[in-house]
This record gives sequence, C-alpha cells and structure tokens, in this order.
Amino acid sequence: MRTMIFYEIKKTVSRTGGRIALGLLLFTLAVSCFLAVRVYYVNEEGAREYGYSAVQKLRAAQKEWAGVLDEERLQAAFQENIRIRHSPEALSEDITENEIAFGRLQGIYEIRSLINESYAEGFRSYDYYLADRLTSVNAADFYQNRVRLLREWLETDAKDQFTEAEKAWLIRRYEELDTPFFYDYVKGWRRAMEYFPTLVMLAVMILGYLVAGIFSCEYQSKAEAVFFASAYGRSRAVSAKVKAGLLTVTGIYWALAGCYSAFVLAFLGADGASCPVQADRGGWKCFYHLTMGQAYVLVLLGGYLGCLFLSGLTMLVSAKTRSSVAAVMVPFGAVFLPSFLSFIQHPLMNHILVLLPNRLLDMGTTLGYFYLYPVGGQLHGAVPLLLILYTALSLVLYPMQYVEYRRLSKK
Amino acid sequence: MLLEVTELTKAFRDTMAVDHISCTLGNGVYGLLGVNGAGKTTFMRMLCTLLLPDSGAIRWEGSDIFSMGGAYRKLLGYLPQDFGYYPDFTIQDYLLYIASIKGLRPAYAKKHAEQLLQQVGLWDIRKQKMKKLSGGMKRRAGIAQAMLNDPQILILDEPTAGLDPRERIRFRNLISEIADKRLVLLSTHIVSDIEYIAGEILLMKDGKLTLTGTTQELTASMPEQVWRCTVQREQLDHYLQHYQVSNIRNTADGVELRILSASCPMAEAVPEPATLEDVFLYHFGEKAGADHDIL
Repeated sequence: MRTMIFYEIKKTVSRTGGRIALGLLLFTLAVSCFLAVRVYYVNEEGAREYGYSAVQKLRAAQKEWAGVLDEERLQAAFQENIRIRHSPEALSEDITENEIAFGRLQGIYEIRSLINESYAEGFRSYDYYLADRLTSVNAADFYQNRVRLLREWLETDAKDQFTEAEKAWLIRRYEELDTPFFYDYVKGWRRAMEYFPTLVMLAVMILGYLVAGIFSCEYQSKAEAVFFASAYGRSRAVSAKVKAGLLTVTGIYWALAGCYSAFVLAFLGADGASCPVQADRGGWKCFYHLTMGQAYVLVLLGGYLGCLFLSGLTMLVSAKTRSSVAAVMVPFGAVFLPSFLSFIQHPLMNHILVLLPNRLLDMGTTLGYFYLYPVGGQLHGAVPLLLILYTALSLVLYPMQYVEYRRLSKK
Repeated sequence: MLLEVTELTKAFRDTMAVDHISCTLGNGVYGLLGVNGAGKTTFMRMLCTLLLPDSGAIRWEGSDIFSMGGAYRKLLGYLPQDFGYYPDFTIQDYLLYIASIKGLRPAYAKKHAEQLLQQVGLWDIRKQKMKKLSGGMKRRAGIAQAMLNDPQILILDEPTAGLDPRERIRFRNLISEIADKRLVLLSTHIVSDIEYIAGEILLMKDGKLTLTGTTQELTASMPEQVWRCTVQREQLDHYLQHYQVSNIRNTADGVELRILSASCPMAEAVPEPATLEDVFLYHFGEKAGADHDIL
C-alpha cells in the first residue's frame, strides 16, 4: 500500500504543473511571512525601525503594560495617553515631533484602542481619537460598557435582526466573559491570524489543482485499462488514491501552516497566548470565549478542514467526471462564488453564506460574525457548526470517492 | 488451465459488437484476426473484466471471472490497444507502480522489473521518462508491464499497431519468447504478425468468430484456389473487377497477380498454395483492403 501511495503522490508532484504549483506555494509562503512580520517601531528620534530589533523594542514597550487590565491599569494607561497627547511633541506641527510622541504611545497603544472600543458612542462605531478627547474615564465602566453597547445595539439598529432569545443569548455570552482579563503583548498572534487567510486561500486552490488529477489522470493518459485490469485496480489502488489525496492535503497544509506559524511567532513572539481574544481590539466584540492561542489553533484547524473538504470535493468531482478541468473549478468556485452571492442582501442568505466552506479558510473573521443558528434546541454561533458540519461532510466525501471511482471500473 | 467463453454478447446501442461468441482457450498463442471494428477490442476488454457482457459467460477453471474479481486479475496481463502511461514517470517508476497495483511485493517487483527491462531491451534507458520514448519503446514498456505478474493469461490488443517493420519483428520474437506455459491472446488486423507465432487463429467478423484453427487448417478450409498469373497492364482493371486479387506486383513482362478463384482465371495461371493472407482476403473481401497496413 505504501508503494502505491508513494507513486500516487509522485504522479501528482512530478508533473511540470505540479512543480510550478508547489513553487508558487513556497513563494506565497515567503511573501506571507515577510508581510506578517513587517512591524515597525518608532524610536526616540521619531524614526521608524524595522526588523527583529524593532519587534523586540515594541514588545518590550507593550510588555511594560502587561498584567490584569483592572481599573488601576486602565486609569494609568488613560492618564499616560493624556500626558503624551498633551506633550509639546504631540502638539507640535512638525511631523517628526509628532512621531516622537507616537513612539511614546506604543506601549499603551493597544489598551488605548480598547478604550476607544469601550467608550465608543455606539456598538458599531469606532473613533480613533476618542481616547484623546476624553477628559476622564470611569474605569469601572470599562467592561460593563461592552455589554451596554451590545444591549443598546440590539434594541435599536439590530432589533429586527435577532429574535428575543438570540438577543438574550448574546447578552448572556457577553456577561459571561471573565473580567478583568489579562492583557499582554499579542502582536505575534494577531499578525499570524491576519495574514494566514491569504496564504490558505491560495493553498486551497493549489491543493485543488494538485489533487484534481489523482482520479482523472488514468483517463487523461488512457492508463485506466491497465489500472482497472490489475489485481488491486479496484480495491487497494483506489484506496491508495484516496489516501494519497488525504496525505497530500494534510502534509502540504501542515508543512505550510507549521512553517508560517513557527516563523511568524518566533519573529514576533508568542506572548499573550492565554489572553482572551477580547484583549485585542480586533476581538473586543467577539462573543466566543477563547484565548489568543486557542483562536489561532481554531484558525489553523479551520484552514485545514477547509482544505480537506474542498480538496475532497475536488477529488470526488475528478472521480465522477474523469476531468481535472471540471474538478479544479471546485476550489475556485468555493472561494469566489460567495463574494458574488453576498450581493444578495437577505438575512437567510447571510446566514447561509457564513456556513459556506470558504468561511473555514478565514476563521479569524468568522469568529467576529454575529450569526446565530438554533440547533438541537440551543443557539450556536457559526464557528462550532462549521467545524462539525465540514468534519462530517469530509468523513463522507472521502469514502464516496472510493465508491465512485470503483463504479467506473465496470461499464 | 482453460478459459471458456460461452455465448458471449455485447451490444452498444444498435451495434452488436460481440455476437454470441463461444470458444475455449488453453495454453498457447492465439491470434485474434479481424478488420477494424470486428469486435476484437470489445471481446478482449470483456476478457479483462473491463466490460460487462450483456449475456453469456467467461469462466476460468470453471469459475466466473467477474465473480473472481481480483483473484482473476492476479492471473492477468493486459496490453491495451490504446496503451496509456504516466508521462512524467521514468520507465522504472512506471513498472514499479504497476507492480504495486498488481500486488507484487516491492523487493520482488524491483528484481522482476529489472529482468523484464533487460528482456525487452529498455534497461539502459530505464531512467528515461515515458513521454520521451519512441512508439516502439513504449510498446516494449507496455509488454513489460503486462508481464510483471508473470500472468497465466496474457492479452495483447493490437500490440504492433504503429510500429515500424523492424520493431514488429522484434515484438513478434519477444512474444514468442514469453509465450511459454501461458495463454496468450493477441489481436491484430496485420496477418503477418500472427502467421508465424500463433498456434491457433480466431477469425472475427462482425462480432462473430467465423473460423478457428491453425494456419494450415484455415488455408485448407478455403474453398477457392490461389492462382499466380502475369497480365498486361491494360488488363489489370478487368481482373481487379472480376476476381479477388490478394497481391499485385509489377514485373518486366507486365503485372503479376495473385488471384483467389474457384476456376482458373486464364490459361497461363499457375496454382499456388494458399497463405493466411489469402484466407483473410477471402473472408473479409472488400473490408480487408480498407486498411492499408492490413496484410
């Protein structure tokens, strides 16, 4: 069996097109890594520094503010922001002086963003300069504001979007967040999550291209007669094709995700893995209770499941149609079709769109979606449903390939 | 070791590709002779379990081959007419892959593939990619893959199609070498391919087996006599219109004809012993000449 799997994989990657695809994937990995770690630090002279030393300086500046984000720390961060914003450098009309002021702000920059979120006028509004305009904040309201703004939003702008049960469920989820939470430098996790979807979307198309030929190559090269007339041509050899597809997807995906994660987290730091996603501005409104580390694992798992499902579907189409061209359209369609469908503005359509497999490829964004689904008498967000749904579908898809390809052996 | 075919039938829409064929094949080389479209490939694909018959049965040692499944295919070596391969594989990789799907252990497969590569004369270029091979080399790789599992039943569908005369001779010799102690069924529409190596010939026409036997039996069964005569060039059209002419050769005295006729076509005509080509022409008539490389 191992020999069969080895040669099935060799068939896939020995093609010129296969090698080009793998090269493209490596190039995209390099570009994604480069973009993800391109972080700057503004030094005391107001000049931007890049590279590993800049990351270390930024990390050190933000680490000074790490700890439980309680009233005392919030108040201190707020006062520090006021102090910097009223400094001669910040008030100067010289850009370099402004940059010097910004440099001093970098340590509290993320907490400042959370203040902007918490004390915003509305749930959906964000004012970058809010923290600068406020003369004082009641730090005791910091966490309660999050719930209050949600409640107000549910009673006004979103009053028709949710049922009463859903509104109550969302408010309860918000209230259940453990506060005060721990704040830390989380740049590594955030940037890793930010640039991973681009990489995984290209990966799913390239993986689709690679596995599209696994079942159709015999027909394209007219080798099916020898294949099916062989002793294992309708049993183990077909099974080897399914396994080769699984191994190709799993191996390439995890090699890619592993290299990307290791590089980005090693470069930017993996600090703050145990911070809740709400400790980062991007996750402030999230109703899932996850740490940054858990969220990143979810992003990786979602990407894997997305690749597994879409590649499985590609292979099934390849087995059924005997055509790589038809099969290779599957991942392209899955990635691009939802963008077109999103023009149809309808609540039901929105609920469906969030459950399409492309959402698995960008789990970081999916975590922020406010779509609820009643399943088994309970309400759930899209994330657990996506994981369960596509795990189940993938478990069905791969055996279906086996059955479908065997069916072709006799006419 | 008998392969029994009983009332085998296969139709594609309105065309009866194989029409109630019955025969029993044991060890030896069998030549399946027929024009294009006679049903040879359909018949062979059923023998390889690649096509299900509409009716009839094929039995190996009394067991239905379709029920035997993998156990039957373990005994089988098949070289299809449209021999497909994996273009980016080297010859060696190709053979090792086919060996794996034939269920051969890797160590044995490697050893046996080496022997076969030497036997078919591809050892020196074993690292070359399949897509770089000439037609003859591909066919030799094809016969090597068919032989990998040392099959008891070897089915070769038009193995010499597209080969130049030198390659065809080499191929015939190769088949004669490997034909020992197994059933070899070789289909062709080129008479000379099987005339020398086939012990028994099956003549297939319009999906039916019209005649079976050795070359001698087939030639002896032909009711018409073969005549050799020389005619003037202006008389050629007359003879072509009124007789079955199996060969035309220009000579200094005119045109030498080989004619199939029950009666003597002209006073100077000399009777000749019939060959398989003559039998083929007699049975397939006009159709036999439809393919330029038929004889």
